Amino acid sequence: MDLRQIGTLYAHEMRSALRERNIVIFSIIVPIVMYPAMLWALFAGMSFVQGQADRLDSRVVLIGLPAEHQPIADSLASHDRVEVVTWDDGPAAARDAVARGRLDALLEARPPDADDAPLAGNLRFELSFNEARDRSATARSRVEQAVGAHRDAWVERERRALGVGDTLWADFAIARRDLTTPDDSARFILGLIVPFLMLITVAIAAFYPAIDATAGERERSTWETLMTVAAPRSSVAAAKYLYVATFGAAGGLLNLAALALSMRWILEPLAGSAAGELAGGGIPLASIPIIGLGTALLGLFVAAGMLVFAVFARTFKEGQSMITPFYLLIILPAIFLQSPDIELTPLMAAIPVANVALLIREAIAGTAPPLAIAITLVSMTFFVALAVTFAQWVMRREEVLLGSAGGGLGGFLRRQFGSNGRKA
Amino acid sequence: MIPPAPTPDHDRPRGAAGSAGERAGSGAGDAGAAGTLPVRTEALTKIYHDDGRGEVRAVDRVDLTCRRGEILGLLGANGAGKTTALRMLSTVLQPTGGRAWVMGHEVREEPERVRERLGFYSASTALYPKITPRETLRFFARVNRYPAERVEARVEELIDRFGIGDFADSRVEKLSSGMKQKVSIARTVAHDPPVLIFDEPTVALDVLNAIELRGIIGGLRDEGKAILFSTHIMSEAEQLCDRIAIIHQGKILATGTLDELREATGLHYLEEIFVHYAGVRDTDEATLEQMQPAEEAEGG
Repeated sequence: MDLRQIGTLYAHEMRSALRERNIVIFSIIVPIVMYPAMLWALFAGMSFVQGQADRLDSRVVLIGLPAEHQPIADSLASHDRVEVVTWDDGPAAARDAVARGRLDALLEARPPDADDAPLAGNLRFELSFNEARDRSATARSRVEQAVGAHRDAWVERERRALGVGDTLWADFAIARRDLTTPDDSARFILGLIVPFLMLITVAIAAFYPAIDATAGERERSTWETLMTVAAPRSSVAAAKYLYVATFGAAGGLLNLAALALSMRWILEPLAGSAAGELAGGGIPLASIPIIGLGTALLGLFVAAGMLVFAVFARTFKEGQSMITPFYLLIILPAIFLQSPDIELTPLMAAIPVANVALLIREAIAGTAPPLAIAITLVSMTFFVALAVTFAQWVMRREEVLLGSAGGGLGGFLRRQFGSNGRKA
Repeated sequence: MIPPAPTPDHDRPRGAAGSAGERAGSGAGDAGAAGTLPVRTEALTKIYHDDGRGEVRAVDRVDLTCRRGEILGLLGANGAGKTTALRMLSTVLQPTGGRAWVMGHEVREEPERVRERLGFYSASTALYPKITPRETLRFFARVNRYPAERVEARVEELIDRFGIGDFADSRVEKLSSGMKQKVSIARTVAHDPPVLIFDEPTVALDVLNAIELRGIIGGLRDEGKAILFSTHIMSEAEQLCDRIAIIHQGKILATGTLDELREATGLHYLEEIFVHYAGVRDTDEATLEQMQPAEEAEGG
């Protein structure tokens, strides 16, 4: 392979690509602007929905509430957004009204069980609501708060009446001490978001270049022009691969930089005044080289995979439909990785794509184990080499060069290795 | 008419040549003076497997030669095997049988060396739309191994020669078809190859552009280039080609100058000669229609 020729071909691919509007938008602009903006919109939307729920009015019916526990009714009646509805049609009709949405919650006071009977005034509450409706769910929450506050006051009063002193009572109390720092919270959130966004960004950033480098050449009728240059096919394939990988990795890294710089702005709607503290140390500086390396490896792997799929396409449309299954395949691990319980064990570190996503998460949390990092690097390097070798082999096949290998990768492999083994 | 067997590579060491043509062997390099023909094929064959038709012999034991300063016309109807044969010569396709040499380099054994000595132009070899003509010429000169220190001078020379100066720095996508054609030919000869292949080059051109292109190809012949020119247009072959090879159903049926073909058949017009060799007197109208001159076919 002549490195100078590869350099010439690579520079040519990059020059053309950087003048292609779609590629610039999806591989550069979108990672920088779109994903931080999307995250901001998501969080702002969540805050908005929460605010909307707080403004919902609740229609509540109370049945069988003894005078001793009237403070519950008083508390609810004093709430700006709660209407205590007078109900004469009995509990069955009230439950039906809640189920149908005509009421939002029903609180029924029942006699206590035998074991609870010795405590004077004790009783059981039964709360009916419809969780499928936001309005009913909000009403449930408001009723529970009112009942809980009254219960605490009532228990306090009863234990004093029974002579249980503060010291003895304190033995039953639970003192909660949250050791989470604002940095930990930020890293937890980033650890969930960043790997997911990184996979999507790298995949999208490599998507158009992969199609442009293959089907795009055919659609523009420049493929045959390129096939008649004096460079070996392997050099042409290498240059195309490097071009796609550059955009994939660059898209991921640009996205990472944009997220790091805009995190305070993104989290503000969710975290309010704490956002400033959260963003301060969101991504540890020491983890950035690991995240960068992981992103670069991801770009190299995704580029090779996408080229293998796209090289069979004759048009942009074909290219899009051929790459999409691979695109979904690499996004899939990100969905499972939303569970914080999955860790970067040596076994997980051997699984391509998933290992990089986990590595990024662990690196952000500052807990990436050295052995798992090493396994991830070895595994990804191995799979990248495998994918590149396969991509180069595919791209040297005559039927692929000519665009006559219809049916995509699956059809090609069947023809190559099928029972008749016949080559098209 | 069987040409002598090619001698081994007579290339001079790269950089030792006095001119670009000599560098690639077009002058007194590895072909002419040593007696090796710039282009030669021997029983060149391409067989495809088609699910519907079974085994298809697209090119069947084709023997061809092309000399320095000669235009060899490959004349045949659509689907006759012209493009497949030329694609094998340009190493885009691999032969399934036979052999072919370009400036003494065998197409399967040394494909990069073959492509280095070859310029390939066809309706399906378009230009990159997002780059400028100057960038296009620079890229093709460099990637085809034209000496790096002479690339810029070569680009300027081509811009001047083909009258590209006024639009050398505009993107190709902004150019008219006539401008693109000039850039495309300049691209084909950017690395000063001794052998040129023009595969149906006028098929998508209007009359004036076709005439201009034929003029340019004639000029390249006069410079000593060995040129393979495929066409299905009889008048084009008559006007431009020094020798004509009639190809039909993958086979070369006859090769010679127009006079030689006339003498051999006793017929005057190339169309009659073609029909005589192809044995298609009773052929369908569509085939005969393909043989009409471009001007007639376009209503010009």
